[in-house]
Amino acid sequence: MPSSVCIRSISHLVRDRAAHTSIASRCLFAAPQSAGFSTSAARYALPSKKKTGTVAAPKRGVKSLNVKKGRKGVQVDTAKRPAQGERRALRKRIVLSNNNALEVPYLTDLEKTSALSKKNQGQVKGLPEEVVDSLRAVEAFKPTQGWSLFRRPATLIRKETVQLAALLKVAEGHVNSTEQAVEGREDGEAVDGAKEVAEVTAEEAVAVAVAEEGPKKTIRRVIVGEKMSGKSSLLLQGLALAFVRGWVVINLPDAQDIVNAHTAYAPLPESEPTQYTQDIYTANLLSQILKANKGFFSNTTPITTQPELGVPLPANTTLEQLVNIGINNPDISWPVFVALWAELTLPGRPPIMLGIDGLSHIMRNSEYFSADVKPIHAHDLTLIRHFIDHLSGKSSLPNGGMVLAAISKSNSPTSAALDFSISVAEARQARSGNLPTWNLYTKVDQRVMDVLKDIEVIKVGGLSKAEARALIEYYAASGMLRAKVDEPFVTEKWSLAGMGNVGELERATVRLRV
Amino acid sequence: MSPRLSLFSFARSIPYRPRLSSQWLPQPATRATPSKLRAYSNPADQAPSGADRSTRPETKPADHVSEEAAKVADITGTQGPDMEQGTPVEQVVKGDQEAIDKLPKVMQDKLKGKSPTSAPKGSRSYSTMTTSETGSAAFDMGLVGFNSASTVPEIPGVKFGLPSLPLPRDGNLKHRYDTVVDQVTNLLMRHGQKSIAQRNMSLILQHLRTSQIPTINPARPLVPGAPPPSHLPLNPILYLTLAIDSVAPLLRIRNQKGAAGGGVALQIPVPLGIRQRRRTAVEWILNAASKRRNKGSGKGGFAQRVADELVAVVEGKSGVWERRNAVHKLAVASRANVVLPRKR
Repeated sequence: MPSSVCIRSISHLVRDRAAHTSIASRCLFAAPQSAGFSTSAARYALPSKKKTGTVAAPKRGVKSLNVKKGRKGVQVDTAKRPAQGERRALRKRIVLSNNNALEVPYLTDLEKTSALSKKNQGQVKGLPEEVVDSLRAVEAFKPTQGWSLFRRPATLIRKETVQLAALLKVAEGHVNSTEQAVEGREDGEAVDGAKEVAEVTAEEAVAVAVAEEGPKKTIRRVIVGEKMSGKSSLLLQGLALAFVRGWVVINLPDAQDIVNAHTAYAPLPESEPTQYTQDIYTANLLSQILKANKGFFSNTTPITTQPELGVPLPANTTLEQLVNIGINNPDISWPVFVALWAELTLPGRPPIMLGIDGLSHIMRNSEYFSADVKPIHAHDLTLIRHFIDHLSGKSSLPNGGMVLAAISKSNSPTSAALDFSISVAEARQARSGNLPTWNLYTKVDQRVMDVLKDIEVIKVGGLSKAEARALIEYYAASGMLRAKVDEPFVTEKWSLAGMGNVGELERATVRLRV
Repeated sequence: MSPRLSLFSFARSIPYRPRLSSQWLPQPATRATPSKLRAYSNPADQAPSGADRSTRPETKPADHVSEEAAKVADITGTQGPDMEQGTPVEQVVKGDQEAIDKLPKVMQDKLKGKSPTSAPKGSRSYSTMTTSETGSAAFDMGLVGFNSASTVPEIPGVKFGLPSLPLPRDGNLKHRYDTVVDQVTNLLMRHGQKSIAQRNMSLILQHLRTSQIPTINPARPLVPGAPPPSHLPLNPILYLTLAIDSVAPLLRIRNQKGAAGGGVALQIPVPLGIRQRRRTAVEWILNAASKRRNKGSGKGGFAQRVADELVAVVEGKSGVWERRNAVHKLAVASRANVVLPRKR
């Protein structure tokens, strides 16, 4: 007669083996080491050691390919991996100073009074520290630019920069007819301003600014040019000049980041056709605006409008507090941005600089999809629409200002409409009679065509030899270039750089591209 | 019976078919007689006109006025008109009042009163005259300082003058880069992609340039004559050269198979040349760099690691030093195996 104890123990075994470890070790059916209905123990168990040598030997006469190299000395790298995002941060790191570089004795900073002067042309000018901080906040510096080679950020005021400075002056309302001549064409808006304001020299312009204010203008420009010709740098210079002049600067550092579907988006309620907000991105942009325009936000001006944000605002809310609300509550960041914009466009506020880099990314469908799985056009994203409205001239800046967009030649999706609009604008500015015509057999993005109908461009060309010489002398003075800077040397480098392409010039002189 | 006379009859007829194409008639390619045609560019005296072919003097046309005057002057031994230039009308009609009266009005006006050298009067504010080469320096078409190539060089046979000696080392296109940089670039190259190697080289030098001033370990002295470490980041090529030359081994060990007997290889130290030494050092450094951890991501990772390794070499922290010392130690131990050339 079999013992009942044995049967009982077996039934226990099945239910809870952990309580009977001594029995369990002798048990024969050890395969599932857990209760029948639980998988957690098996799931969290250590993986069984891989069996080695189970692979059958190759058949006779069959060659087996063994391409493993140095099987003996393979060391498994057990060191801690960099944290998420750390590698990217290292790659995108922006270094703005090189302690090894020499101090350039003759380097002077851009100043508020003389920043827009025409006399700066062909000089290398240092960027003041607070401007550097602001530019860093708006991510105007790019990792591919050569800031990391020099003691502190400085930039060459080239012909196009002087043009831009003249436009800034026009936007501020002091129109100088001599600078209109520099611009080389009648600016429809600027000409009537020129009639009103008497001719003033660059030095007198500041005094005039205090005394009388001309009509403020909205200047809209697209920066175009060859690869490495300094388009982003010119945009940076524009932003720097705006910072120096005390403008409010709002910069979209890379258009690609807005449209490549890496940030959350949501339809904007009561919008027809549906627009989409990007709350996280907008909150981030608000924090950038706050950080970059410290001077403007620090004077605590209470807001005058009553924005409907859905959250109660305390009495006498300052602009800074308003922006902080948007930063802390990303859900209402877009209404906060709209409220901020309404405040910024009130009379008496400083001019506004709107910048964007990589324009062609926003001249097509974005990577986002609508609810019925249709691609969303980039112009249906609220932030971009806001920018585009100002770029196209649909809305203007009542306190004056500039909308500056730079194209990119190395990272730009094809946008036939943008290319066409730029070529038309160039032809228009060159006053050539025959404007290019649209190739009827290519697809047209009508929204883009409408937006860029009457856009004007700033063409960034090569440096002149004098400008190249100033730059090369700055390189030599910083100790980054070890050569005698004379006429043949400058001419050689200027020619090697494709007649003064500034990026190539840098590559040929300081980048040691050997 | 044969109808023809055949003196040399063979038993078998020899076929002889003269080929038509090989027939050649001696004809001159060009005719010996001179051409009657004269190109406009040919000088007139070489190909005489039709009237001049006759030998009789009376058939010849009368000479031009000035030619005649020149001949007369030649005979009489006086100074005639210059035949190199055309004779101006004013000179021809000089003293001949009838001829002057029959001149066109423009010429009469010109003869009257106005001297031929005076500037033309009119509303035109500019001159249409060309300037003489020796003339006013004020007139400049951008050719000031432009030496035409037609000037006779001082040294015959040298168009642009002799270059100043010694020639610059990087004067030749193929030797434009520093020797060490060239060699390291080639050693960095993988799969023949030199452009990528060049980019890496450039990044390495850039990292060296932005790196901290190295602190030299006195236990690992650099090559004698090295500049102070504060000079190194500003001269990255020197930095690179210094790092490589400092760890470059002087010798290598050649294993002579079976020379030691019993199947044991005999280790013979062999001195290396400068290029070979550098090559060994660079290979060690690149090996050590490839074993380093990649910190970031993207294209410049390897360059960063190589630069870090170079800095470690200069600071004496790199494992390459041990490697070099091991080679030297082994070479010293086996110096008895060196076979010197036999003395006579």
